[in-house]
Amino acid sequence: MKRTPPTRRTVLASAAALGLTGSQAKADAPGDAIRPLVLVCKPQATDPAQYQAAQLCLQEWRKLGLKISVQVVPATQQSTLVWMNRTKWDMTTWEMVGRPERSDPDELTYSLFSSSLADNGYDFVGYKNPAYDKLADAQRAEEDRDKRAVLVKQAQMLIKQDQPYVYLVYPRRSMAFNSEVWDQATIVEEAGIGIRNFWTFLQARPLGEQKDMILNTPQPLSSLHPVHMDAIGSWVSDLIFDHLMRVDIHGNPVPWAAESVRWVDPVTVEAVIRDGMKFHDDTPVTLEDIQYSFQMPMDKNKTPQFYPNVANIASVDITGPRTITFKLKAPQSSFFTSTLSKMSIIPKHVWKPIADKLAGTNQLIEDYKEPNLIGSGPFKFVHWRDPEEVMLARFDGHWTPPKLDRWILRTVSNQEATLGMLRNNEINFLAIFTGDPQNVAALAKEIPKIKVVTTTDLGFQFIAFNLRRPPYDDTAFRVALSTAVNRKIMAAAAWNGFAEPAGSCVSSALPFWHADDSLLMGGDLAQAKKLLADAGYTLSGGQLHYPAGRKEEISAG
Amino acid sequence: MSAKALLLRLGQTVFILWVVTTLLFFLFRMMPGSPLAAYIDPSMTEEQQAILLHQFGLDKPVWVQYGLYLLNMAQGSLGVSFIYKESVGSILIQALPNTLFLTLTSLLIAYAFGTLMGAFLAARRGTWLETVTLPAILATRALPEFWLGMVLLAIFSFSLGWFPAGGATSPGASFPSAFARYTSLDYLRHLMLPALTLAIFLQGLPTLLMRSNMLEVLQEEFVVMSRIKGLSEWSIIMRHAARNALLPVATALALGIGSSIGGNVVVESVFSWPGLGRRLVEAVSGSDYPLAQGAFLMIAAAQIVMNCVADVVYATLDPRVGRR
Repeated sequence: MKRTPPTRRTVLASAAALGLTGSQAKADAPGDAIRPLVLVCKPQATDPAQYQAAQLCLQEWRKLGLKISVQVVPATQQSTLVWMNRTKWDMTTWEMVGRPERSDPDELTYSLFSSSLADNGYDFVGYKNPAYDKLADAQRAEEDRDKRAVLVKQAQMLIKQDQPYVYLVYPRRSMAFNSEVWDQATIVEEAGIGIRNFWTFLQARPLGEQKDMILNTPQPLSSLHPVHMDAIGSWVSDLIFDHLMRVDIHGNPVPWAAESVRWVDPVTVEAVIRDGMKFHDDTPVTLEDIQYSFQMPMDKNKTPQFYPNVANIASVDITGPRTITFKLKAPQSSFFTSTLSKMSIIPKHVWKPIADKLAGTNQLIEDYKEPNLIGSGPFKFVHWRDPEEVMLARFDGHWTPPKLDRWILRTVSNQEATLGMLRNNEINFLAIFTGDPQNVAALAKEIPKIKVVTTTDLGFQFIAFNLRRPPYDDTAFRVALSTAVNRKIMAAAAWNGFAEPAGSCVSSALPFWHADDSLLMGGDLAQAKKLLADAGYTLSGGQLHYPAGRKEEISAG
Repeated sequence: MSAKALLLRLGQTVFILWVVTTLLFFLFRMMPGSPLAAYIDPSMTEEQQAILLHQFGLDKPVWVQYGLYLLNMAQGSLGVSFIYKESVGSILIQALPNTLFLTLTSLLIAYAFGTLMGAFLAARRGTWLETVTLPAILATRALPEFWLGMVLLAIFSFSLGWFPAGGATSPGASFPSAFARYTSLDYLRHLMLPALTLAIFLQGLPTLLMRSNMLEVLQEEFVVMSRIKGLSEWSIIMRHAARNALLPVATALALGIGSSIGGNVVVESVFSWPGLGRRLVEAVSGSDYPLAQGAFLMIAAAQIVMNCVADVVYATLDPRVGRR
């Protein structure tokens, strides 16, 4: 289509529409028109809230004079584009999920925005800011928790200034249980995780004959391996395999299989191991087992998924009859959460022969299917009838055995049927619900024995700008776009009220680390227009143009 | 059917299977998105990513991958699932019995009902019963399976509590053998609602087919002769006419087995039934090429083989077909 060149008159008219003064408007020689921009998004059927959020954002951004469209792609294509084709997209909807180890702010604060990870690491938007790097490094090295919190909050405020993301919401997840089966007082909520957590499974007290906890998952598990990442599989492996520390319900790491853990100096950690622990095959848990549990994942070619969790360990030594000492390559304040609470204690007599067998072959240890999952956790593995269910049983040999008999995770692909099952007592613990949370609330209203607990998630939803591509390399442009988005409406409309407006990568579920001031509520279109105008952007023929002299470097599409 | 004709038909079957295999292989590689996206942690180094690529065999040129795929297939191997790290064959074999039980049960119900109802409607042609029943049958055939499944769930599971809402067995149930599992009351209770849903969906074809065949057969001279001989109406319909009208229904049943094996995706999802259909959905959404190819191939093979069986059976039952 032939484009009419902007005249001085139309540019001035546009500038006037943006509320500019004559001196502010660089009307004489506006830059090129900004190419049509594309927002990549998963299909509505896969994630209705995210899709709705994308549409709401587009609606506002078009009012700024942007030509913009949504490109709907399957989730795997979106991941491929974002991670592996880093210069080929403009914007994408994205989500960081809440995991217990993310209750320490380091993983997200450091990984998402550190310049060192911009080329092929977690910093997929390509954000580079030396001032931020300094803060991220400093919080990582700071041992004093209060001082570290100050640094973490400063980092969040810096991101607020730069807006590499349009933070949208912290979702609120609803989980439920049958209060006639489980003593309500023993079902505990973990900050940012909800009632589906280790502490609930350990403490839940059955009230009657039904002593099996029956839970749901919408999708089958891919692995229960102690060194394989699988979001739902980790619910199970976390119960089978113990850890030296565990994240408590407040989000803090506490000693678990270790009686005590302390920093000897900024790069040395000493753990005193609990006495008398046993594996499920009745063999004792030895210091060699624990040492090996951290050494095996250090082979990055065999366990690439878990290697980052132990990459900072220089050595693991047995330094006393019950003491293990970790020497780190560099100070790491998140070590207790990201490593000691994450790495599973595995029996050396089971895994060493497997590692030896696989040495020199192509096969990864993390892909090895070990049929007898022997751990030392409070639950022992009984069966995995893929894709129907996984069953665990109480391990009476544990130093804190659970109160329930069996823990059964059922795969239920139909979300409405999940609620029907909860109603009929076919399941008695709703561990996850991916449908409309209003339906869970309605069920609880109808059936009083169903208790619902809704928790603000550790994870967050956002739209990521690709800072490698103009105009997203301009902070003013990003801030203007972010200012136009109303988070309150977003939470109410796209997430049906089951979300809180988000302003940083540290969820409000972690009040100790979260910077309240980081929230940019947005919804101020006039302010967004003013920010653009102040930065030299102009409207011509209804389309936003770059500041004077700036050329469009990328072709549309 | 002559031996030569039979060999020719088998040759055609093998050729079609090869075409399907090839199409599946290239179609999945043309799909957007890399299977590695689900596995590669961005914090991995390029070297670590290369290890994974090598592991999946995706570092080789696509023609080499195709050659290896055919070679493995010829040796009876469908490869290893990217997601589950298990042989595709064993994953599919695990899911197949559930799909077969569901398919065969529903077809049995649908064709038993359809045959009888078709014969009955033909005998009652022009009555108010036919006026009411025919549209009802057409309507059930047109109902979306997921909707029908949800209605049955709402009535028989959520409200009445007669049947479980999903799965193939009760939580934690264990059985001494596979035979014990598939013949247990627990399994049959779980099978009932998904099988009924599928049966209601499937019964339209045999009913209408049987009815129209019966209407033709009832005009035949041997029926008139039977009436002249004074045989009862029931005897004429069921013993003489129905037997002659059954042949096309039997053919449709054979084809129905083939197509229904792959057509259970919706029902399996609604009832969380652990069959092939659900594996297929997981594999496609996770870009698990080997599993998706294997599942599609199994479904296509069932369809192609059942077509071949139908041809052979038809030729055997009606020698005129084989001579044509």
